[in-house]
Amino acid sequence: MSRPDFASEQVGMKVIMLGNEAIARGLLEAGLVIGAGYPGTPSSEILPTLAEMQKYFPHLKLEWSVNEKVGFEVAYGGSMSNVRSVAVMKHVGVNVASDAFMTACYAGARGGMVLISADDPNCYSSQNEQDNRYFGLHALVPVFEPSTPQEAKDMIKYAFDFSEEYQSLVLFRTTTRLNHGRGDVVLGNVNIQNRDTGFDWDRSRWVCLPSHSRVLRMRLLERLDDISEFADDFPFNSIQLSGERVNGVRYGFVAAGVPYSQLLDALNFYGIRKKVSILKLGLVYPPPKKLIKKLFDSCDEIVVVEELEPFIENILKQNAFEEGFSKEIKIHGKDIFPQNGEFAGEIYLENVARLMGFSYKTVPVPDSMMIIPPRLPILCPGCGHRATFYAIKQVEKKMKTKFVNSSDIGCYTLAVYKPLEGIDTEVCMGGSIGLANGIAKVQSKENPVLAILGDSTFFHSGIPALINAVFNKNNILVVILDNRSTSMTGFQDNPGTGVTITNEPGVRVVLEDLVKGCGVSADKIWVEDANDLNKTVEKLEEAVKAEGVRVFISRHLCSLLESNQFRAQQITPPTIDVNPEKCTGCLICVNKFGCQALNYDEESRKVSIEQSVCRGCKVCIDVCSQNAIYEVDA
Amino acid sequence: MEIKSYNLLNVGVGGQGVIRASQILSYAALLENYKVRTAEIHGMAQRGGSVASYLRFGTEVEGPLIPRGKTNTILAFEASEAVRIFNYAGPETVFLISEKIIIPPMIHQMGMDYPNISEISAFLKNISKNIFFIDGIKIATDLGNLRTMNVVMLGALLGLNVLPLRKETLEKAILRYLPQKLHEVNSRAFALGIETGRKLGGN
Repeated sequence: MSRPDFASEQVGMKVIMLGNEAIARGLLEAGLVIGAGYPGTPSSEILPTLAEMQKYFPHLKLEWSVNEKVGFEVAYGGSMSNVRSVAVMKHVGVNVASDAFMTACYAGARGGMVLISADDPNCYSSQNEQDNRYFGLHALVPVFEPSTPQEAKDMIKYAFDFSEEYQSLVLFRTTTRLNHGRGDVVLGNVNIQNRDTGFDWDRSRWVCLPSHSRVLRMRLLERLDDISEFADDFPFNSIQLSGERVNGVRYGFVAAGVPYSQLLDALNFYGIRKKVSILKLGLVYPPPKKLIKKLFDSCDEIVVVEELEPFIENILKQNAFEEGFSKEIKIHGKDIFPQNGEFAGEIYLENVARLMGFSYKTVPVPDSMMIIPPRLPILCPGCGHRATFYAIKQVEKKMKTKFVNSSDIGCYTLAVYKPLEGIDTEVCMGGSIGLANGIAKVQSKENPVLAILGDSTFFHSGIPALINAVFNKNNILVVILDNRSTSMTGFQDNPGTGVTITNEPGVRVVLEDLVKGCGVSADKIWVEDANDLNKTVEKLEEAVKAEGVRVFISRHLCSLLESNQFRAQQITPPTIDVNPEKCTGCLICVNKFGCQALNYDEESRKVSIEQSVCRGCKVCIDVCSQNAIYEVDA
Repeated sequence: MEIKSYNLLNVGVGGQGVIRASQILSYAALLENYKVRTAEIHGMAQRGGSVASYLRFGTEVEGPLIPRGKTNTILAFEASEAVRIFNYAGPETVFLISEKIIIPPMIHQMGMDYPNISEISAFLKNISKNIFFIDGIKIATDLGNLRTMNVVMLGALLGLNVLPLRKETLEKAILRYLPQKLHEVNSRAFALGIETGRKLGGN
């Protein structure tokens, strides 16, 4: 593999980069040393891109941390030691990291310290669409937001100079369309700093006990004042003032991030980009008061174009009140643009037209509509999760009851769909076990309570909840779907694989030992190959019926990784076929198990195997009650 | 001719090379000194779900998203995916569609029907007058490498004379993402695609 563009030292070269690659490149150009975090869409490519760069720039010290809180602390430990450090996570990851973040902001940064929060308006790959700009407001930490890949690269590089100058943490907020969009980016110099990493034994700063924190808080407030003063000169803020009127009104727009770029497209579309005033924010908090006042001075109506909450809108309204403009100026925001979801391209065109009195024709609806059924994401062929959920259903059937299947975040969340319909809750990382603790307190014995989660999720935050169950005797069965990978976000390694982000051998943490260490007694732990259906059903029944806190580890390597491994080792997986004479067309395999390699022909009323899809896991052989599915002899 | 803004939407099913096609086109547009913006969805959508990738290039593009009705060209690697995003097209939008339909698993179990190619064709002809179908899979299979399908499609787009990029830059971009041993077959796929596109467009 040739050297990727993002690791190139050809300064000035223009390349196409994914937003996340541009961020990684900016980190490299900034002189980053420590990068840590936990995978989560849409942030997941940032650390792996740095890991690729690490082959050429070995000064980078990177890791997948066990969760976002630890990731933040690892990076902050780097900052305390005078090196430039970044913590990378998705928006909900910041909730996990916030315990550390909300106090680290008091002591501030020594080496530059940036927290990247990748937000996900429209919940493309998330359980909520929280707006993490509020974390900046909450922690009194400045919030940066880039609008293009090029700006993301330049801005994150600048964020480290800024962080050190003000000794402040920086919250770098992006949204999905920035992270997972590509754009042209010009490469800059790679910066490698050789700093004194001697520890700073200033206990009055790093020991945040009450007597210190009271003083540190005063410094935090002073820092924020200084940054507020500087906000008007922030290099990624800009203002265009126009005295012109459109349909009799002097309009002003305020935007940041991707909405700023999309807004420019809409203004170009109507040919009014130069006829309105535009305040572009790169620093969304704290606000640039003088620039805002200038905008007030030259506009009659101002429109804040921002996705999710009225964050900038509220700041503007507050400023209008303080500056005495509250009666003279009309400030629009959520009265025009929605507070939910991502703004699709036409939303800008429609709303600008509606506000300013232009005509905008929506796409005509055709006379007859054609509905295409959804193409739902689905577990892969050969996935051990499918077999485990099928086994759980079998045990339920045998015991003539219904389990409460408290579940979690990962590929296995897809088991909510037909035909498995195998999970009943999903709230947050590790939540399956915590919720099960509570549910088990009041459920009758007839409805056993299961907590079902993946290996990486268990390491992330399942462990304390398991200890809690043991300690408080909340009798649950924890099913760990151990596929040796963090698959949903792109197959990142975790403590269970024992391979580090830069592909070096780490130390593997053995789940069985860990669970034992949490206080689960050895006779309450079962381990089985997820794709050995008969054994799994048998042992799972045992586990469900046993007393106390139990753990069932259902283990099988992620089928995508397994098939890659087979290919690399030139192993031919088993060939599976259906004997049409034995197939009765009962459809149990198709309707209950639902692997996509199983085809049903309506005419012949027989099932067949789509060989290009089948990965040879052999589970369907055990699913078939007629012995019609078999392994073809090699 | 300098293009102010050109909007292209690539759609298909996870694993078909939709994102790669966008990467290739992005790089070709970069080689012609245009500003380039794309947007795509990773994560959940990769598990056999629908994939849509917006691509915009030109001297005047800012954001990555295309407003409904404003797409110049829609490249569909799977026919029913073209219908799913039909409202991004206007009456002038060019559709280049691979004839093959991939029926999602579980559709029949959910008691739903999936449209066939003639129903799809009839529907789209009400949306735009520029609907072109291509048997990309057959051409690629005849070439002996099914994975050349997206290169065949890119060639056909050029042959249709709707893509404002030069043949040389597009070919350079295609080969850039492939190992040397696959250059020859992909160059042939590209040429065959161009020829097929010319015939389709009557050029």
